[in-house]
Amino acid sequence: MEDGMSVDLIRHVGSLTLELVRELGRMFLFLWEVLLSFFMPPFRWTNLLKQIHFIGIRSLFVIALTALFAGMVLALQGYYTLARFGSEALLGPAVALSIIRELGPVLSGLMVTGRAGSALTAELGIMRIREQIDALEVMGIPPLKYLVTPRVEAGLFVLPLLTVMFDVIGIWGGYLIAVRLLGMSAGTFFGGIESSVEMHDIVTGLIKSVSFGLIVTWICTYKGYFTRRGAEGVSHATTSAVVLSSVLILVCDYFITSVML
Amino acid sequence: MSPPAPSADSTHSTSGATPHLSLGQQLVANGCVTARQLDLALQRHRAGAGKSQEDEHLVGHTLVEMGYISQSNLLDCLYQQFARERDAYQVVNDNQPVIQLEGVVKILDDRRVLDAVDLAIPANRVTAIIGMSGGGKSVILKHMVGLMKPDQGRVKVNGQILGQLSARELTRIRGRFSLLFQGGALFDSLNVHDNVAFPLREKTRLSETEIHTRVMRCLEEVNLVGMERKFPDELSGGMMKRAALARALVTNPEILLLDEPTAGLDPIIENAIHYLICDTYMRTRYTMVVISHAVPEIFKWCHHVIALHRGKVLFSGPSHEVGQSRDPVLRQFIHGELDGPIQVI
Repeated sequence: MEDGMSVDLIRHVGSLTLELVRELGRMFLFLWEVLLSFFMPPFRWTNLLKQIHFIGIRSLFVIALTALFAGMVLALQGYYTLARFGSEALLGPAVALSIIRELGPVLSGLMVTGRAGSALTAELGIMRIREQIDALEVMGIPPLKYLVTPRVEAGLFVLPLLTVMFDVIGIWGGYLIAVRLLGMSAGTFFGGIESSVEMHDIVTGLIKSVSFGLIVTWICTYKGYFTRRGAEGVSHATTSAVVLSSVLILVCDYFITSVML
Repeated sequence: MSPPAPSADSTHSTSGATPHLSLGQQLVANGCVTARQLDLALQRHRAGAGKSQEDEHLVGHTLVEMGYISQSNLLDCLYQQFARERDAYQVVNDNQPVIQLEGVVKILDDRRVLDAVDLAIPANRVTAIIGMSGGGKSVILKHMVGLMKPDQGRVKVNGQILGQLSARELTRIRGRFSLLFQGGALFDSLNVHDNVAFPLREKTRLSETEIHTRVMRCLEEVNLVGMERKFPDELSGGMMKRAALARALVTNPEILLLDEPTAGLDPIIENAIHYLICDTYMRTRYTMVVISHAVPEIFKWCHHVIALHRGKVLFSGPSHEVGQSRDPVLRQFIHGELDGPIQVI
């Protein structure tokens, strides 16, 4: 009896492992095909602009709001923490470095995942279950090139821009709290930033944002593109796309930070 | 009047059918309109809005506009001609089918959906594929356009094996097909006009003016003029099917595949869609494959019938011979009887 249960358990673990390996293989093949398609004509600029508008422009408000409050809370918490050690003058660099190196790219990536990534998955998923992707294929229009490529390209392009915007607004939010509310001098706040933020920090943040742009659009389009089993399938694909993208952003953030420190 | 269109039948499976004439000639030959009326309609049609010879197939609409024939009489005349051809149709073995499935096996979710299927689709004819739900009809259609690959066997289009084609060659072959999906598969973000224009914008270098002309011609053919600014979610089921049919027709395909074009429609719209398919066939002589559950109604609207049951071909032959089959499964299916070899309850 126990032997039978052990065999079943091993079989179950084995089948899960095989499925995981298969899924990873499919995901990387999908990514490879998308990256190759970047360089293959036709280049549909209108599609790309539409996606830049959808992923970028329409995420501006939520990014600005998140950045403002992230910067504000960072300054508020940071001020009282640093005050315990008499180091309030370091508040500017603390806020700026936290935002530029970590919070900017990570929170931008997570916000884009929630706002645009989920919509990408749902849109492609619905197109799949309503046979619109099959229709493209029958028309002789490669669906991957037509639907996925512009979305991934747009993600790679807009995430760094959104991150830069997040950085600027976040630091400004910190300034509002530190200078306007807590009475720090603007010279101290910005002087510290100027002397402590280096190009390397900005580059690290931008490398992260490009990577997160790729992760969000890759995972979300993959999950949508291979959706199955009707409306329930779309719901499942959307949830798993958001969860997987968010987790991968945080995991990837750790590894990039380790390498770039 | 334009010269008769070349016979699409010269190498195919018909005996006793009259050579194919242009739409106008058919109407005159059947006594639906006079030669004089046709000439007048053609003159007006060509003069109006600078329409070209290419638009001659719209002469039927001009005849209706000029009051020489009513829309329903026009469709009925075309149907009568179609019925004569259908009743004269015979399968000839030496004829080269346009699509062939040879020993095709497909297993989906551990179920043998297609079990060594052999079938041939005759060129320039309307073929209906019938069978129980879940019997593999749509799977067959997807094999014909290469959306699915057989686990065993092969699919040939004009003698070319699909599985051996490169991606570019497959795309070229697909350019000869149009597929009307069961749900229409119209793009939600585009209105009817842009949906129909989509394949032309993506696959041709036509100017926007030319695209607009062709789109409007197709919408006129399916009686959807005035609906071009509507989005798919604003259309009824019948309109959706007609818009999808217009998109399928706009590229002038050689082979038109229709996946349950009348599913979920009321009897009047169902009849209208059948007339529309007949009208399209009579004007274009495309090879058509229709999947349908409208049995035995569909036998009126096709030359050839293929019946599937449990992944195998049960019957393949002229539509006027289906009723003579002694196969108990086929007889039960055609008559919709509860008692018989197919256990449903």
